[in-house]
Amino acid sequence: MEEMINSILLVDDENLFHLVFEDACSLLNITLSLKTLNSSEDAEEYFKGLVQRNAPKPDCIFVDLNIIGSSFDGIELIRRINFEHGDGVVIGIISSSDDEEEQAKAVKAGAQFWIIKSDEIEPRLEEFKKDFNGYLARKAPFRIYK
Amino acid sequence: MLNFKKETREQLLSLARERGIYLEGNIIKLVDTEEDAAFDEYVKEAIKKDEQSRKKRLEITKQVQSQNKELTEWKKHNEQLNEDLKKALQDAEKSKETALSDLEVLQKKTQYELIGSIVKVSLWIICGIGVITTAMYALSLTLQLQNDILENTWSNMFGIMLTNCFSIIGTIMGVKYANGKTSGSSAKEIAVCKNCSKPVT
Repeated sequence: MEEMINSILLVDDENLFHLVFEDACSLLNITLSLKTLNSSEDAEEYFKGLVQRNAPKPDCIFVDLNIIGSSFDGIELIRRINFEHGDGVVIGIISSSDDEEEQAKAVKAGAQFWIIKSDEIEPRLEEFKKDFNGYLARKAPFRIYK
Repeated sequence: MLNFKKETREQLLSLARERGIYLEGNIIKLVDTEEDAAFDEYVKEAIKKDEQSRKKRLEITKQVQSQNKELTEWKKHNEQLNEDLKKALQDAEKSKETALSDLEVLQKKTQYELIGSIVKVSLWIICGIGVITTAMYALSLTLQLQNDILENTWSNMFGIMLTNCFSIIGTIMGVKYANGKTSGSSAKEIAVCKNCSKPVT
């Protein structure tokens, strides 16, 4: 069987995008285990719980930049996960924004990639899948998937 | 990987044959076919069907997503329009208020001008009659003419003039007082409701 990412966590306020992402991941054989959350707070709580229970963390986390209904944005969530709760997790942004300033902030917070959301998300996810092992080994540089 | 007993495999195969029902979801990708050719075919078919339904769902979800985006944009646009209309309505209300206030001022000005003219004309008439009667009386005294009627007329005239003067002053004061009251009530008429910004009548 084709090599897949063990588990992925998606943090995005848009429920419809959860469905798109889930189907794309399944069709592209990216992962069989996907968890979706709607807010930064939920994601932080989830991570705290994993750390407390010493449970396995997701291999990769996709975070939306502006998560409506959350008290802090995706970049802050990445910073908290990277510096407070987790290590060795591949984490990055998935957003429709292509703001260079925000991208620089995301890199500082520890993001390894930036995928730009659009109607055609599948080719970008395919490219990301190819680079995943590099991110896991902390060898691949920050990349924006346009 | 998942291993199914032969019995289960046969049940799944018969379900697929008879009713066209297959296993769905990511779990099919974890099924071990154990070199069972028929079951291997079944799993391939199930994966194919699952992919087809996922593709269809993905397409529909994308369509809904795009329609949702359009709707959100339209909502924003409508809200902006609504706000603009509200502003325009408020401006119109303000203009109406200003116009009503200007009209009131104009009406008052006209009224005061009319009162001024009446007072002027009345004063001229009173003074004229007074002067003429006094002149006639003085002439009759100078020329030693019979002036019984003029004498009475002159004294009556001054009495009447004095009374009339007070009457005119009273009328003017009355008109002014009445105007003051009317303008007060007009101000009430064009007062604007704080909640709905409509004029209160």
